[in-house]
Amino acid sequence: MHIKVVMTKLGLDIHWRGALVVSRMLRDEGMEVVYLGNQFPEQIVDAAIQEGADVIGLSTLGGNHLTLGPKVVQIAREKGVDSLIIMGGVIPEDDIPLLKEAGIAEVFGPETRIESIANFIRSNVNQTIA
Amino acid sequence: MAQKTTNKTGKLFDQEVIQEIEAQKKRWEEQTVKGKDGEGEYYSDSGIPIKLLYTPDDVKDLDYQNDIGFSGEAPYVRGVYPNMYRGRLFTVRQIAGYGTPEDTNERFKFLLKNGATGTSVVLDLPTIRGYDSDDPEAEGHVGAAGVAIDSIEDIEALYEGIPIDEISSNIVTHLPSTTVVVMAMFAAMAEKKGIPLEKLSGTNQNDFLMETAIGSSLEVLPPKASFRLQCDAIEYASKNLPRWNPVSYNGYNLREAGTTAVQEVACAIANAIATSEELIRRGNDIDDFAKRLSFFWNLFNDFFEEIAKCRASRLVYHEVMKDRFNAQHPKSHLMRFHVQTAGITLTKVEPLNNIARSAIQGLAAVLGGAQSLHVDSFDEAYSAPTEESALISIRTQQIIQTETNVVNTVDPLAGSYFVENLTQEMAQRIRDYIAEIESRGGIVDCVESGWLHREISDFAYQMQKDIESGKHKIVGLNYFPTEQDQTKVPVFRYPDTAESRQKEKLKKLREKRNSEKVEKALNVLRQKCHEDVNLLPYIKDAVLEYATLGEIEEVFREEFGLWQFPLA
Amino acid sequence: MKEISEYFNKKDPVSLGKLLKEVENETPLSFEILRQSSSRKGKAHIVGITGPPGAGKSTLVSKLCKELAVDGLKLAVVCVDPTSPFTQGALLGDRIRMQELAKLPNVFIKSLATRGNLGGLASSTADIVQVLDAYDMDMILIETVGVGQIEFDVLEVSDTVLLVNVPGLGDTLQTLKAGIMEIADIFVINQADRPGADQSVKDLNLMVRESCKIDWVPPILQTVATKEEGISELITQMLTHKTYLQTSGLWKEKRQLRNITRLHTMIQSLLSNEVEQQIKSDESLQKKIQDVKNGTSDPFTISHEIVNSLIANKNSFQFGG
Repeated sequence: MHIKVVMTKLGLDIHWRGALVVSRMLRDEGMEVVYLGNQFPEQIVDAAIQEGADVIGLSTLGGNHLTLGPKVVQIAREKGVDSLIIMGGVIPEDDIPLLKEAGIAEVFGPETRIESIANFIRSNVNQTIA
Repeated sequence: MAQKTTNKTGKLFDQEVIQEIEAQKKRWEEQTVKGKDGEGEYYSDSGIPIKLLYTPDDVKDLDYQNDIGFSGEAPYVRGVYPNMYRGRLFTVRQIAGYGTPEDTNERFKFLLKNGATGTSVVLDLPTIRGYDSDDPEAEGHVGAAGVAIDSIEDIEALYEGIPIDEISSNIVTHLPSTTVVVMAMFAAMAEKKGIPLEKLSGTNQNDFLMETAIGSSLEVLPPKASFRLQCDAIEYASKNLPRWNPVSYNGYNLREAGTTAVQEVACAIANAIATSEELIRRGNDIDDFAKRLSFFWNLFNDFFEEIAKCRASRLVYHEVMKDRFNAQHPKSHLMRFHVQTAGITLTKVEPLNNIARSAIQGLAAVLGGAQSLHVDSFDEAYSAPTEESALISIRTQQIIQTETNVVNTVDPLAGSYFVENLTQEMAQRIRDYIAEIESRGGIVDCVESGWLHREISDFAYQMQKDIESGKHKIVGLNYFPTEQDQTKVPVFRYPDTAESRQKEKLKKLREKRNSEKVEKALNVLRQKCHEDVNLLPYIKDAVLEYATLGEIEEVFREEFGLWQFPLA
Repeated sequence: MKEISEYFNKKDPVSLGKLLKEVENETPLSFEILRQSSSRKGKAHIVGITGPPGAGKSTLVSKLCKELAVDGLKLAVVCVDPTSPFTQGALLGDRIRMQELAKLPNVFIKSLATRGNLGGLASSTADIVQVLDAYDMDMILIETVGVGQIEFDVLEVSDTVLLVNVPGLGDTLQTLKAGIMEIADIFVINQADRPGADQSVKDLNLMVRESCKIDWVPPILQTVATKEEGISELITQMLTHKTYLQTSGLWKEKRQLRNITRLHTMIQSLLSNEVEQQIKSDESLQKKIQDVKNGTSDPFTISHEIVNSLIANKNSFQFGG
């Protein structure tokens, strides 16, 4: 089965390079990546619903990870979306446990090999949706 | 400037000497090197083939006076000032900016006390993107990664107690839409303080590429509108703020996003060309504004290529301004640039290694003749710099300035067969890429069509693949990868009360100002958006009535419309 | 998944999203979902939008939706992009040009990769459209790049086909597949503020006159999607075409034809699936195929043998449902 990923820049964060490179490389890993550009939590979850996303990828460099990241998880779960939610970007080590507690499945730093992101997705995606 | 009086120009070496060297080099290759010149092929980061050894043969076509010359004279390869760092050391400029203006004002004072010679401020994302701190879209961003500016009161608080008529103020405004508002606030503040505008010196970034090609966002102005605001700010400053650099053509962020050194310089110069054409169309003389155009480069680890880039960029810019635009004033021919070391080259693993990387990049900047320098802090891959890491960056600059002695003579690498050859090669590639941009209708069209985005995206993608395959080596990451990195990096925490404090201030501001006058000023601005006039005076009128940055930019968004990013 | 009919009755985006996900992935449940949606479909005006890359289709779709949404219409957008033949992955980037639709509750966007026909069913686009139709959409806009085979399948699903082009289309027309001109019901010259727009209209006029459409002469419109110019006129023409289809009886005819087409493709895919299964479980058949590969037998003889043996064993299999 194809894995569908909704990839987005979180909020106003303006750096698109990372998110787009990851998108292209996940495509190379055989996934279908819907690139949203910049969006806010409500709209990210709406897009994930419409696209039937297995994964929501949040990219951030702007220091908004602790506010907007958990908000995406919260809205998603409220609406009954069970997509795997992961995050990437410059995120302080100390914040990672907080993000995981809030329901972010994994946090990837700037030096992560894309292959390991892909492997994480493949072994954690909930393949039985029904 | 003294004119050259001699006509005795000519090649560096005479033909006979070159022929003999060529013959000897051939012999040397056969008898001494004997094929042991290393495995594989060697390239610079931007793809220029690198030889085992360079000789006079590699610079045989160069004419010293015309192609290299003296510092402070055409073609400015050796530097823009005759005495370079003996006359004026490069400005130690470290970026600061977080929380409320009051918070950043404190950091300014700390840095100045410790030897910084100017202020440099970075703004938070809502400010850069044109939203007030109480806008729902600003949530989670206020005062993070930069300082929040909502009204002229914030600019006043930011520079409280800072002698803005004595030291230069760098404002990292990024986008033209932010620049025009912040520039108007800065000028209005000075006037209120009784400081004449001609005493203000400083720089803001003001690059439409930053708005439309490098950064993505939800609501971006169309390239043409953003370009118009960029030109408005430059034109206004050239008439009212004679010591202000109203633009810093941002090669830096292009490079961070994903370009080669050649593309970085070519795009920035292509933008300067487009600006000049537009301002001339508006009836300005090239010499009215060209002397205040400045540039912003990113120096990576390819030491000699980066130095050659700095030298080549001055050479090409001189040709453009003198030959193409026929600028008369020598200052119009000078490319002055600020350098920031390459944040993207810094690693999260073994972060202390980044001190070495930044020092090498900073050294290259000085050998390349930079006018000011920001050395990235080693904790870049973790957070904004802490006070401690920011101090190491200042110390790095001071070590280069005083302990290495590299500043004692001008352009010390001139005459290196390799560096001179590489300088010429870089210059030619920069010219070619500018020609390519122009063949596609110029830099504005290249953005509108998405061509530049594709160039950036393709490069970044290839780079990531090369890093993952190990072709591009990064120490500690894919080359001698760290086994157990025990380094603990203290993380800088943004003051999390910034959002509530800014909101509180805004609430008071909205209550006390005369909303009728605000409305009136904004309506005038709205109208002027559709006329072929400079918007700066109308923006200044609005900020003096305490219109907020978000309100002014909402006028832009409504009147210019929004543009969809042509990605993927 | 609970009772599928519940998902249909709920009429909320979350339920629709779940139904579509099953259909997109051609899961066992999708058969039942399609069965149920068959009886509910038929109301939506299905508009196909095609044209060369860079013609501004996504932006045009975005502006169309923005204007149509004002009237409270329920809208769906289906964006079809190619799957990489090498990695089977896809980068679907159309949404980035439709960001302004993100906050509109009555617009539902689905991005699809072409995926090839490996799963047994035909391309899922037609099925996705059917489910959207059954979910009370007033209009469904299908956006697809007009350079491959896939868009013909997609366009067969459409009531109204828009061919979007840019000024100076002499060359770009050449890159389009032959036959696509004949499919178009409305021609759009987008980015009409560029030089050459009027000439393009003239060129197209000539071509349209030469074509053999009988009652409906395809109008040629100019738009500047980025500036929202010409959008209302385009919508008017789309609706005029809908009225034309309804009054001429073509509306009904097209739907009948689609039903039959779907029947045929379903039969074909079930049969070829069955053949695959049969081959997998029958070693003697595998040996015969190996002979074809080696050239000791020919494909013509062996294909008949395989199908005949399948028919002979017909009691041994039964399709689910």
